[in-house]
Amino acid sequence: MSTPLLEFDAVEKSFFGVKVLKGVSFNIPEGGMVGLVGENGAGKSTLMNILGGNLQPSAGSLRFGGESYAPQNSGDAARQGIAFIHQELNLFPNLSIAENIFLTCFPRMGAIPLIDRTEVSRRAAKLLRDVGLGLSPERLVETLSTGQRQLVEIAKALSIETRLIIFDEPTTSLSERETLQLFALIARLRSRGLAMIYISHTLADVFRLCDDLVALRDGEVVGCGPAKSFTSASLVALMVGRTMTQLFPDRRSSTPPREAVFEVHKVRRIDVPNYVSFCLHQGEVLGLSGLMGAGRSELARVLFGLDPRESGTILLDGEVIDSLSPRDLIGRGVAFLTENRRSEGLCLDASIAENLTLATLAEHAQNPLRWLSAKSLQTAVSNIRQAVGLDSKTGDGQCVRSLSGGNQQKIVLGKWLLLKPRVLILDEPTRGIDVGAKYEIYRLIQELADSGAGVLVISSEMEELMGICDRILVMRSAAIVDELGRAEFDRERILHGAFGTEIAR
Amino acid sequence: MTIRKPVAAQRARPFTQWLVGLISSEYLVFGLTLLLVALLAPFTPGLVSIANLLNIAGYLLPLFIVAIGVTLVMITGGIDLSVTSVIALTSVVGAKLISADGSATPTVVGLVAMLALGAGLGAVNGGIITCLRLPAFIVTLASMMFLSGFAVWITQSKNIYNLPASFLALGKQLSIALGLTITLALCVQVVLQRTVYGRWLYAVGQNPTAAYISGVPVRAVTFAAYVVSGFCAALASVMLSARLETGSPVLGREILLDIIGATVVGGTSLFGGKGKIAWTFFGVLFLTVLDNALNLLNLSQFAITIAKGTVILLAAVLDATRHRLGRQNA
Amino acid sequence: MKRLYQRLLEFAPLFMFMVVLAFFGAQSSRFLEPRNLVNILVQASSTGIVAVGMTFVLLTAGVDLSVGAIMFVAAAVAGKMALAGLSLPFSLLAMLVVGWLVSAFNALFIARLRVPAFIVTLATLFIGRGLGLWITETRAMNLPDSFLQFGSARFLSVPVPAWLFGMAVVLAHLVLTHTSFGRQIFAVGHDAEMARKAGIRTEMVMAKVYLISGTCAAVAALVTLGQLGAVSPKFGEQKEFAAIAAAVLGGTSLFGGRGNVLPGTLLGAVLIQTIENGLVMTNANPYLYPMITSVVIFVAVFFESLRNRVSRPFSA
Repeated sequence: MSTPLLEFDAVEKSFFGVKVLKGVSFNIPEGGMVGLVGENGAGKSTLMNILGGNLQPSAGSLRFGGESYAPQNSGDAARQGIAFIHQELNLFPNLSIAENIFLTCFPRMGAIPLIDRTEVSRRAAKLLRDVGLGLSPERLVETLSTGQRQLVEIAKALSIETRLIIFDEPTTSLSERETLQLFALIARLRSRGLAMIYISHTLADVFRLCDDLVALRDGEVVGCGPAKSFTSASLVALMVGRTMTQLFPDRRSSTPPREAVFEVHKVRRIDVPNYVSFCLHQGEVLGLSGLMGAGRSELARVLFGLDPRESGTILLDGEVIDSLSPRDLIGRGVAFLTENRRSEGLCLDASIAENLTLATLAEHAQNPLRWLSAKSLQTAVSNIRQAVGLDSKTGDGQCVRSLSGGNQQKIVLGKWLLLKPRVLILDEPTRGIDVGAKYEIYRLIQELADSGAGVLVISSEMEELMGICDRILVMRSAAIVDELGRAEFDRERILHGAFGTEIAR
Repeated sequence: MTIRKPVAAQRARPFTQWLVGLISSEYLVFGLTLLLVALLAPFTPGLVSIANLLNIAGYLLPLFIVAIGVTLVMITGGIDLSVTSVIALTSVVGAKLISADGSATPTVVGLVAMLALGAGLGAVNGGIITCLRLPAFIVTLASMMFLSGFAVWITQSKNIYNLPASFLALGKQLSIALGLTITLALCVQVVLQRTVYGRWLYAVGQNPTAAYISGVPVRAVTFAAYVVSGFCAALASVMLSARLETGSPVLGREILLDIIGATVVGGTSLFGGKGKIAWTFFGVLFLTVLDNALNLLNLSQFAITIAKGTVILLAAVLDATRHRLGRQNA
Repeated sequence: MKRLYQRLLEFAPLFMFMVVLAFFGAQSSRFLEPRNLVNILVQASSTGIVAVGMTFVLLTAGVDLSVGAIMFVAAAVAGKMALAGLSLPFSLLAMLVVGWLVSAFNALFIARLRVPAFIVTLATLFIGRGLGLWITETRAMNLPDSFLQFGSARFLSVPVPAWLFGMAVVLAHLVLTHTSFGRQIFAVGHDAEMARKAGIRTEMVMAKVYLISGTCAAVAALVTLGQLGAVSPKFGEQKEFAAIAAAVLGGTSLFGGRGNVLPGTLLGAVLIQTIENGLVMTNANPYLYPMITSVVIFVAVFFESLRNRVSRPFSA
């Protein structure tokens, strides 16, 4: 191996006296592809933010291309040839593809400070061909799909002399087909000699793409070496710091048929041609599988009254629900954990106790003045904290913003469990949370179902659905295309349904 | 600044720690007020005289009452710029009703009409903001202009005099105003702290989407805040009109910045989700005392505006910095 | 169907324009005479120039309430200088300097210290008004004739105010659509934090739009001085409302990131002036004007909310 392209030398970072990175050192060779793995909070984002110039290290140093490298902002990093493909894409929907690519470096008409529009279009068109996106550069980004936007981001990275591209969870919001396209593009770029850092929770992808792996835990490098020297199990063990013997709690082998609790009849969203009908039973965990864009989250939002419904009926315990609004549904014991925990699930600046009790405040104020009983609130909070296994180090009054993703999700779930729901809809309940907290969440789902409630789980992780569900529905183009009982669970069949017959394998 | 606490604690520098503790204290503004009085009293004859304190109270109470309503609105993350115009319009409508030159209806009817009008105007603001989902700032800006224009139009820009003695008595007896203000302030604070509505109000300000999904009637809660704001403005209008013995279409026009400023100086956040009635009281007290002391020092009105404007901007900078640090920390 | 609806909404100001023209044309025969129409353009220039600056600010999702106060202070300073015997160019320079100073103050607090724009500019509005009253000693000042001559001068048979308005519109249009700074304004308006991460110097962009707004306000003060020839304590009062109304009527979003000066703000400004002119022609009560302007803002903002609902479906 020649001189490495990028060297981390004992990089440390502290936030408010808490060490987040404790002396991270590793190298990335010229043209190499390094996978960076670790649980949430292991320090991956902090490390990458230092590399991208958004944060400065408290101690230690970086060398890039053999020279000392200390970017002060993201512009510095870009100028030196480091591009960042963020988890949330950083494109401006109100600008065109070409404008997004050249936003900070528009080609000008010689001495006149005006943009050379023809040059912009020409260069943008060439870059779009490079990444395999056959669209007009004048198109507004708001009209593009997520996968297309990601390609635009990559085109943007290629527009400057980029030597290193950082991918942060690039596949979370891509369909399987788009993912394959992305991987093909990554292979093409590598053949041009670009180095890459690939961050992902999907270990199969990491193994497939990367030469070397670096595993982080609690701000320290706990494993570093060629990808071949690791296995999924050994990598997980390194990340967690203990061997996970079991990823999913035991599911009762068979469920006796029970009464329907939540029935959906021919429900259709506005602007969508297809109907959806299904039935959720008492004590059942029902999975909703499908590709991104198949309309799963959208269906859940319609069922909870967040998006308008074109037609169809919904029955709860055999009774038709006419007006759909979160407030009415919560009153009837239906709860919905959305996929966006921070923006839709929590009041980040409020305390743990306030968040936990937000949906059930009225229960603690059963008097004409709606006066809250502090004692009753306190009891509820401490009971639910115990039930969801929330770290006892954190006080009830602590602000939710400072908690880890896993603990935050436990709070959202705790809020709904306090409602003692008849029906709980969960959209990507374990996205972006670490392995330990995932297990806790699966356990809580299980317990809720055992107590007789119906649980609908939407997830993009097929293993997860197969691990916790009694039955799985497969969606494609806003319609349910397949249904599998627990005995029939089969990866291939689910994928087959999700992709449709033309991609049948 | 509160979130800087752990740093200071760790570095264990007593002075920094003390300073951080002081800045994040709820009573900082109150302390500053006392400091201000202590500093200026020797140079300002009559600052702490009974007559002047009564004078301060007379100015402070209506300001505080409007600010209570504005505090509620600001907790929801909104803003009500129309309060001063509500004051003006309710003042002239009330005066037209009860004045001997007008329809000379009984004072009680006039009072009820004023308060109902204030609440109604708040309801219009709240209705437009919640139903059309428009920024509160622009809606209340437009209604500020409309209502003030309306007040000028119906009076053709003339003051209304000859108000009945029973109405003027409200302005002469400080105890009535004081009693009303204290009752209102306590009620609102208790509602904020101890009832479902209060919790909902904060939740709406912190994250309206999460609140809506958790079953909080976001629109109704927001709407109610604007109604209260309009009502409070009308109540302040009663006090001001009675004290000035006139219904004026430009009543309160000068105090808009004071009202919003006092709320921000007290510590209620411009970004929503944070605020207390006690804080607002401290903010109002501080600005009023500052204004009064500078007046007694014979400074020009312009200099006083500059001084108050600076204080308000500093408070806003502090609020914005706190908000930003909170975001960064996540 | 949705597209058509959106198109219709985009042209809403144009439709309103037609309706207003037809309405006042029917009320008063003089209204549709070419002379009156040119008049409207000239009279719209002051509001229009402020609105051009306001468009920049609104595009970054900010607001500048201090423009009217800036106009007042600038005019007061210029007036004092003119009365002291200094020549016109000195007064002009002084006006620009006043505009830059106040808006630099705004920019410092908004761009650098991240205080919400409405509170900062509300404070500068009050402070500026106080300053202006202090300078003018709350009296009206009649200015030398040189100002009035400037205001009624013609270049290539087009009145100078109209030239200034036209130049402001064209220049602003070029900057917004054909410079990196202009395109970056749209990016910052969409999401300032994201723009910063994308390597845009957000603070500079934000600071510049307030400076542009302040400059426009100073130029507008000059135009108004040229038309009135005097500074009264009401000079520039509520100009911020008219400017916001014009920009929003022209399709500029209050949420930032969407809008244009040509034709949007130009049309909006002329529309507002047309309404005011029509009111004068039909001898409406002058106390009605502010109420009508505020109704226009409401209507404009209402259209804006409809447009927003189409492109951004229900989220909360």
